[in-house]
Amino acid sequence: MNLRTVLSGNTYIFGSLNEVLGKANEEKSGDKLAGIAAESVTERIAAKEVISNLLLRDLRENPAVPYEEDEVTRVIQDGVNIPAYNKMAGWSVSELREWLLDENTTSADIRRATPGLTAEMISALTKLMSNLDLVYAAKKISVPATCNTTVGLPGTLSVRLQPNHTTDNVEGVTASLFEGLSYGVGDALIGLNPVTDTAANTAEILKRFHEVKEEFAIPTQICVLSHITTQIEAVRAGAPCDVIFQSIAGSQKGNEAFGVTSEIIEEAWQLLKQQGSATGPNVLYFETGQGSELSSQAHHGVDQLTMEARCYGYAKRFSPFLVNTVVGFIGPEYLYNGGQVIRAGLEDHFMGKLTGVPMGVDCCYTNHMAADQNDLENLSLLLAAAGCNYIIGVPGTDDIMLNYQTSAYQDAVAIREVLGLRPAPAFEKWLERMGIFENGKLTKIAGDPTIFTQRRTGR
Amino acid sequence: MPDYQLISVGIDLGTTTTQVVFSKLVLRNTSSYFSLPRMDIVEKKVVYTGDVHFTPLTCENIIDNERVRALLEKEYLKAGVSPREVSTGAVIITGESARRENARAVADMLEELAGDFVVTTAGPDLEAVLAGKGSGARDYSEKYSCTVANLDIGGGTTNIAVFSGGEVVAKGCYNIGGRLIKLDEDGVVRHISRSAEIIAQSLGLRIAVGEKADAEQLRRIACRMNDVLEQALGFSPEDEVSKALVTQGSTPLALPRRIDCISFSGGVADCMMTYGGDRLFPYGDIGMLLGRAVAEGKLLRRYKMINPAQTIRATVIGAGSHTINVSGSTVFCDKGVLPLKNLPALCFSKSEEERLFVGEVQLLSDRIRDTLEQSAQSNLLVSLRGEKSPTYQRVKGLAHCLAQGADKALAPELPLLVCLQADMAKALGHQLESLLAGKRSVICIDCVDIQPGDYVDIGVPIGEGLVVPVIVKTLLFG
Amino acid sequence: MSDQAMVAEIVAEVLRRMEGSNSTANPEVESGKAEVVNLPDLTSSEQRSRSLLADPVDPEALARMMGKTAARIGIGRAGPRLKTKTLLTLRADHAVASDAVHAEVNPDLLERLGLFTVQTRCSCRNQHLTRPDLGRQFGEEALAEIKKRCNPRPKVQVYACDGLSSRAVEDNLENILPAISHGLSRHGVEIGTPFFVKYGRVPAMEAISEALDAEVTCVLIGERPGLAIAGSMSAYIAYRATVGMVESRRTVISNIHSRGTPAVEAGAYIADLIHKMLTEKASGLDLKL
Repeated sequence: MNLRTVLSGNTYIFGSLNEVLGKANEEKSGDKLAGIAAESVTERIAAKEVISNLLLRDLRENPAVPYEEDEVTRVIQDGVNIPAYNKMAGWSVSELREWLLDENTTSADIRRATPGLTAEMISALTKLMSNLDLVYAAKKISVPATCNTTVGLPGTLSVRLQPNHTTDNVEGVTASLFEGLSYGVGDALIGLNPVTDTAANTAEILKRFHEVKEEFAIPTQICVLSHITTQIEAVRAGAPCDVIFQSIAGSQKGNEAFGVTSEIIEEAWQLLKQQGSATGPNVLYFETGQGSELSSQAHHGVDQLTMEARCYGYAKRFSPFLVNTVVGFIGPEYLYNGGQVIRAGLEDHFMGKLTGVPMGVDCCYTNHMAADQNDLENLSLLLAAAGCNYIIGVPGTDDIMLNYQTSAYQDAVAIREVLGLRPAPAFEKWLERMGIFENGKLTKIAGDPTIFTQRRTGR
Repeated sequence: MPDYQLISVGIDLGTTTTQVVFSKLVLRNTSSYFSLPRMDIVEKKVVYTGDVHFTPLTCENIIDNERVRALLEKEYLKAGVSPREVSTGAVIITGESARRENARAVADMLEELAGDFVVTTAGPDLEAVLAGKGSGARDYSEKYSCTVANLDIGGGTTNIAVFSGGEVVAKGCYNIGGRLIKLDEDGVVRHISRSAEIIAQSLGLRIAVGEKADAEQLRRIACRMNDVLEQALGFSPEDEVSKALVTQGSTPLALPRRIDCISFSGGVADCMMTYGGDRLFPYGDIGMLLGRAVAEGKLLRRYKMINPAQTIRATVIGAGSHTINVSGSTVFCDKGVLPLKNLPALCFSKSEEERLFVGEVQLLSDRIRDTLEQSAQSNLLVSLRGEKSPTYQRVKGLAHCLAQGADKALAPELPLLVCLQADMAKALGHQLESLLAGKRSVICIDCVDIQPGDYVDIGVPIGEGLVVPVIVKTLLFG
Repeated sequence: MSDQAMVAEIVAEVLRRMEGSNSTANPEVESGKAEVVNLPDLTSSEQRSRSLLADPVDPEALARMMGKTAARIGIGRAGPRLKTKTLLTLRADHAVASDAVHAEVNPDLLERLGLFTVQTRCSCRNQHLTRPDLGRQFGEEALAEIKKRCNPRPKVQVYACDGLSSRAVEDNLENILPAISHGLSRHGVEIGTPFFVKYGRVPAMEAISEALDAEVTCVLIGERPGLAIAGSMSAYIAYRATVGMVESRRTVISNIHSRGTPAVEAGAYIADLIHKMLTEKASGLDLKL
């Protein structure tokens, strides 16, 4: 494994694979904070050059965190399909990139190759991809998943409707839910981040979601994003639930910081098979985000992109329905500005797709970052062009509970129109039945949440 | 913080029936781990429903005290609840019962018997609101974001409450009920109430006690009663009969612009669903006829009817589950002062309140004296709006005024009792305690909405001592 | 309670609007006077409470729904995009939030409260935002200053910190600090010398606790601003805080602002809470509330 190169007359020698992976990363404040970023732009390019010549075998054989130490590594390594891997083991990362970008390499080809890849290969590859590369390659890969409905089919863009509330007031949550439905969003999921993480509260909101879903026969799925153990408790106590959620990390230590293990996720999966209200087969939902491992001191000196790639490798084992990166939530110490957030969003989406998980993105930013709504809109449009399964939708970009900004309900509508995308097919039919959608466009009544209250009271 | 459970009793001594229910109220800290606590009643569940007893009378105008007591004791026994376990609840004396000669004495007996912080309430408006809550009409209006009118048609009165998005927007009461005329097994009229006489007269009908009833005549009377209800809900202007049948002491029903749904509770609500059997007077009254008249009248044609969660038990469940509120979760209570009952509220206009903030002690002490004199009570509750986000200096200023006002107008051994709408009771309480240290106890609570003329009961702190139960009554009994 | 109060305010406003008086025009303009007139403040609660939906099926239901949440519902649309007013309100709110992060606390306020200032190892705001590790540490000089100017071994050390919102300090400090101090004096506890930390993160409290050997340390710090509120403060409190201690030893009281928990009331609560910590000799998850 060669870890040295000459660039512009200077010799660059990298001490380890993890070091070169960190330095090859596009500029991220989180890698600087971790003290593993390149010292100069030239050093960064030198690192990329070294990486481009590495063989996929080198990356398989040198996982970022040792196999013996880390469950995430074990899940990824044990999940590798040997014939698929053997076909590519001798390729350089550069060759993998060019094969992927070849116009004759099809979606089916890529899906066949995917089981032979590990997170470290995907991370290394991503460091060699420009933003347009990431869009172009991701567009080829479609990873649909099916819970009650199928999300992620080519030509569609779905939305997770996120009707968060500062006190979890059920009526307030319902108001935001109706507003969202009236814009034709909510086809990926109706999912709330609760303020209060208790089984009783989780159950109460799930019950309301279920009622609305049944009352209007909405072809979608429901979830309350409390801690996985809380959701398990609520479902055991009889709460209706289609999808169980959990935040995950790219290392065992990171998952421990989230209070989650593979056993717990397995337990949730089994529980939904037996007591869930969804048809499935995909019933789990994971959220990730670059930098979360560093924030819990669980990064093992590895760069945040590689740790993120490992999240997807771990997620794949549980055949999730949704995976999304909450790309700009963590703050400027990990992603400093709009440019870094856009880059990270495109990277994460591409890596997730290539890993084979049904990928969505929460295009978002906080008020202490050097980013604004324009950055977010740019990113969401790029992602939709890249075939992203879903984005998030909140009332007027403002999540009043999580105190950050993400996509407005209106955003998905505009993006669909711009790019000629549609909601999930079953959901679109429902929108037409409700009179919200006609010939792929909103109708006059769209955007009026009271069309639902009115029908409920039968007036 | 774990959930905190309360057993609450509801006792309804109505015109016709007397009922007891026990409810379990769950008090929970609903705020996140990172905020100040916020204790809310998150669950109200009826855990025991007693039988529907006929209200025992010794004669037409006197409630049989002893039989009521026996009935109550039997229900506690059957429910397996001892009065000691009951943390709160309400005795409500409704309809005609409230006008019996010994109503007050019976209420006092029940209150004494029922448990620790059980209070007596009465008043047609309150009945209407409690019935609407107990029937589920309030919750429906909130859940479906609409306006619901609940008509609780009992033996002697019909209590109407209109809820919009969970809030009461109108209430009123009419002397319309199933037992305004009573008959014996042979169909002979045994009792005609004053209200029934008014209706009969308006129709030119003559009915008399001791005579065999004419079913057609009674049917016409029942239809006329339904007319009164329809007028109340704005189908046509109120005529003289309707005006004469407004229950004394009730608020005129001021309808909102629109009503979406209607629900019925009370004993007659059951009759609305069951009429059509071969017996016209199964309960020895005209309840069936009235039920039928309402069911076939215009109300159901105009409004969507919602199925009530409770009918005949709506009021008692309302009393048991919906009379109690909890204060804000940052309050100040000196030990040993609570519980306190029947405190008249001393309210101020906005501009008067500003004068208290800037230290106008005289205004406060004068008003304390006036209120004590008028209410003939020994102490009172100073009720203020407070400020949403006051400065430290403003709180300090208000505390000085309150402490001095209390010293001037309240007997030295009495505690100073203050209640605010805005969330500032602990801060104010701290200041008051410093000013009154050792001289006078202080109770300072917040997040309770009190109107002029209200009476207030405050219980001992519950839920890890964070909150106090508060019952706001529109009027004292009698 | 706070959210309900805020929401109640909005509902009242919405209902009032629905009762008639839809005129937004300024009478002075109508009467033709050529005076300078301000456009309405987009960030005012009056402006926020207005539904922008042209013709809702059920306006009353919409008003009730808007009353149940502070979320931006009933905002309508310009085609599949936001209306101009919504867009500009969002930009305005973001601007206010962003300013809250980047501005410095007004020195007059600190002077009025008699607080001296020490700076963490961050040299500028930008470093403060990107290097949380430096925002929890002090240089030798800063530590010497703290030790020199504060009473040693206080039972309770309270100090303020800009954190992610200077606005929070400006909005709340003047009212919360005396409420804590007074509340504790009722229990016969005197607080140590309060001061202000610039460019600080929460864990800086551990360095301060160790430097002064404080029994309880409480930092009043600006929270990351949201669009709805830019000046929200949190109190982080710990018993015998030590550098590197686990997060769960901290007790947090967040959401202190004019529309949340009022500063004075929060101060009174915090005083009682600190007294309890002193009695139980514990904080965070170790403290049974």
